Amino acid sequence: MVRSSQALPKEDTRTEIALGGTWRVVVLNDPVNLMSYVVLVFRKVLGFDEPTARQRMLEVHEQGRSIVWSGLREKAEAYAFTLQQWHLTTVLEPDETH
Amino acid sequence: MKRIEVKLALPIVAPLLDVIKDMSQGLRHTLAAPVAMKEIDPDFHAAWVDDLLEHQNEDVHRLLALFDANFFSEGMIAFDEENADIIVRACAAVRLQLREKHLKSLPDEMLEGGEVELGTLAEPLQKAFMCYLFLATLQELIIQHLQESMLGA
Repeated sequence: MVRSSQALPKEDTRTEIALGGTWRVVVLNDPVNLMSYVVLVFRKVLGFDEPTARQRMLEVHEQGRSIVWSGLREKAEAYAFTLQQWHLTTVLEPDETH
Repeated sequence: MKRIEVKLALPIVAPLLDVIKDMSQGLRHTLAAPVAMKEIDPDFHAAWVDDLLEHQNEDVHRLLALFDANFFSEGMIAFDEENADIIVRACAAVRLQLREKHLKSLPDEMLEGGEVELGTLAEPLQKAFMCYLFLATLQELIIQHLQESMLGA
């Protein structure tokens, strides 16, 4: 007699999420947030100077998205969380150029 | 500490508070800008959403608290370094929720430009759009006058 635990292999399905490598923080456009608000958030959260913040804001507005930061996963997550806290829709993407 | 005081027209603004309160109910359990990150571990994602909701609710609560007895007697509200971040964030959350709940029928270009003929909108939509513009005005005022303080300059 074979014990059922031996007869039926345990299923162990899990999704592995790659944590290494370089990650991009991407801000997506929305039709609601004011341009001046987005510039403020970029300056405050990402430490951009005014011209850089304005340029990135225009990228979001005109192209629908802007890569605002790239680097280690942990820090990318921290930026993404804070940008979401300011109600900017943000996604993380692996940077496959590195 | 830099402080700005704004005198508002009570008969115009008071009815908009009902709209903000209504939106705040919806925001208790829903993020204004949903987290759309499939690259995050599901457990971590859930913890993020909980944290973001907690912050969002605190911010919106502070926005509603601006309209206190002083507002209803004098029509005055005040902003300073201490509440500026919170209020601009809360305004953003409520505006996003207004779009989601009431203003989705309006084209994006119209919302971005703010150029809508109010008279052409149905009554509930008019009130929602007025609230949307009112909150944008508060954000602009705060950013214009308190931006440097908010950036820690």
